[in-house]
Amino acid sequence: MEIVVCLKPVPDAETRLRPRADGSRLDPEGVKFVLAGYDESAVEQALLLREAIAGSKVHAVSFGPPRWTEEVLRAAIALGCDTATAVESAGEEAGDPIAAAEGLLGAVEGMPHDLVLLGKQAGDDEEGLVPGALAEMLGMPHFGYVVDLHWDGAAQRLRFGRSAEAGQETWESPLPCVIGLQQAWNDPRTAKLPAILKSRRAPIAKVSPPAPSPERAASVPERFALPPPRTGAKMIAYRTPEEAAQQLVRILKEEAKVFP
Amino acid sequence: MPDFSLSPEHESLRDMARKFARTEMVPHAAECDRAARFPEEIYRKAHALGLMNLNVPAEWGGSGLSLFEQCLIVEELAYACGGMTTSIIANCLALEPILLGASPEQLKRYLPSFCAEYHLASFCLTEPGGGSDAGAIRTRARKDGDEYVLDGEKCFITNAPHASLYTVFATLDPQQRHRGISAFVVPRSAKGLTPGKDEEKMGHRASSTSTVRFEGVRVPAADRLGEEGEGFSLAMRTLDMTRTPIGALATGIAQAALDHAARYALKRETFGKPIAEHQAIQIKLANMAQAVHAARLLTWYAAWTIDGGQKGTLESSIAKCFASDAALHVADEAIQTFGGYGYMKEYPVEKLLRDAKLTQIYEGANEIQRTVIARELLRGYS
Repeated sequence: MEIVVCLKPVPDAETRLRPRADGSRLDPEGVKFVLAGYDESAVEQALLLREAIAGSKVHAVSFGPPRWTEEVLRAAIALGCDTATAVESAGEEAGDPIAAAEGLLGAVEGMPHDLVLLGKQAGDDEEGLVPGALAEMLGMPHFGYVVDLHWDGAAQRLRFGRSAEAGQETWESPLPCVIGLQQAWNDPRTAKLPAILKSRRAPIAKVSPPAPSPERAASVPERFALPPPRTGAKMIAYRTPEEAAQQLVRILKEEAKVFP
Repeated sequence: MPDFSLSPEHESLRDMARKFARTEMVPHAAECDRAARFPEEIYRKAHALGLMNLNVPAEWGGSGLSLFEQCLIVEELAYACGGMTTSIIANCLALEPILLGASPEQLKRYLPSFCAEYHLASFCLTEPGGGSDAGAIRTRARKDGDEYVLDGEKCFITNAPHASLYTVFATLDPQQRHRGISAFVVPRSAKGLTPGKDEEKMGHRASSTSTVRFEGVRVPAADRLGEEGEGFSLAMRTLDMTRTPIGALATGIAQAALDHAARYALKRETFGKPIAEHQAIQIKLANMAQAVHAARLLTWYAAWTIDGGQKGTLESSIAKCFASDAALHVADEAIQTFGGYGYMKEYPVEKLLRDAKLTQIYEGANEIQRTVIARELLRGYS
């Protein structure tokens, strides 16, 4: 099975984020972009399928500026992906889901693909539009919120669950299809040290994105702001539990005005 | 131009070690310290990820890292827990005499099977009557046909109760001092080899330390490393290679102490403002930061010197000695910054002081490091 796994570079949760000077969007300067969240589960799923089906290959694809995609693709190779392809774009386009889907489309169509896996949404903006848009462009069925994915070799069908509000649905699908995976249900593996070293020297194929379709207006964010700083916690000094409770009630009543 | 920037390769190694340290080690560090628990599950994970046999070339099943790369990893691990780090890197120390002194046949016989699975090895040099004075070891090796018979006792041996392989230094003739010493590779299964009970230690309590007794242990001549009498030189060349990562380990402890102190100083208020705004604390933090920076740079410099093919005895001794002194000092000042809370076991900084203390003692006490530094230094003047 030829499995393509599409990965979005997202800011490292440990980096300090700040808006650009014009306030329009995140300032990528000094930000480290990483493979994270839902996409880690997608890579893990791809590798599990490869291990289960002899002769399979996993191809990692990422859309964005080279500095962003390189780290993500090297991480994917260190985890075990067979090939890596970067679709180069400007930082502005990387946040536009339709531009991303179009960019990924060109790369996916240029390689063998029985199954396309993605995180069901990106770990940063969590829009969740790329899997559906890419499936539409590829003319394939799309399933989101997927967990417990297995290949039934006898029936030549994928079998999987979809986590729904009230429980879990069970589905099956022939190939090809596009699948958006739920986060962390499959306990993504950690890359081993020798594999990390080797991944630094692995080749990354480069693909240019197609020109944007003229009938589509690109989405342009207007303003990016960080959440307001949290106000500090208040410590209560007390000698007995009764005293702590009395003080808490007083504060809730008089200061927070939670009840009269 | 000298370059202090890390390559993307270095950064990814460091990030991987950092992630392992923060997700696997930190959550258990306090508990393992309190209970003196040897967290084998963490060491197994470290092995599975390639964090254990860092100095063994990839062709023999290790990670094949340069000394500089080892130092980047060791600092990150030690930031989380000095004791666990000591146990994780003890294989590097125990296997180094094999890397330096084994024949191609021996390398093939010992390393691939050892590295492929989770195994621990112990470096057996120190004895009850001789630590720094390694030439005075009393463990005897008697030649008997095609075998040697080992008798004696080693002490303060890291991981000894859990090890499956021991590199042992023993003397064929105590009269000959250094020239009488030979090195042997002994499996745990050897009859007459008995690790003692776990020592109760001040720090590094997630690590395991015990004596190892040798009573008529028969070792085939094929398991001697190098020639007869080459053992002492092998031990010293080993320590030349493993001293620098101890500088990195101490730097990791010192960095952790500085981070705890700085964060606390910004939060804790006295006289109506955070203590970080008092000059007394600012001066403390500034001095701590200098010590951490200097420790790291000396460690990197020693690693760079040795990776470049030089012996680096002077550089590695300076790095180990300075960084371990710095770690103790910075941990001490971190406790002082925390005040009474720092003295409480509920807070993380007193552990750092106890862990830092060992780095001044093991792998060559700092008194010996200073002796070595002076000797190497004065050589340049005579």
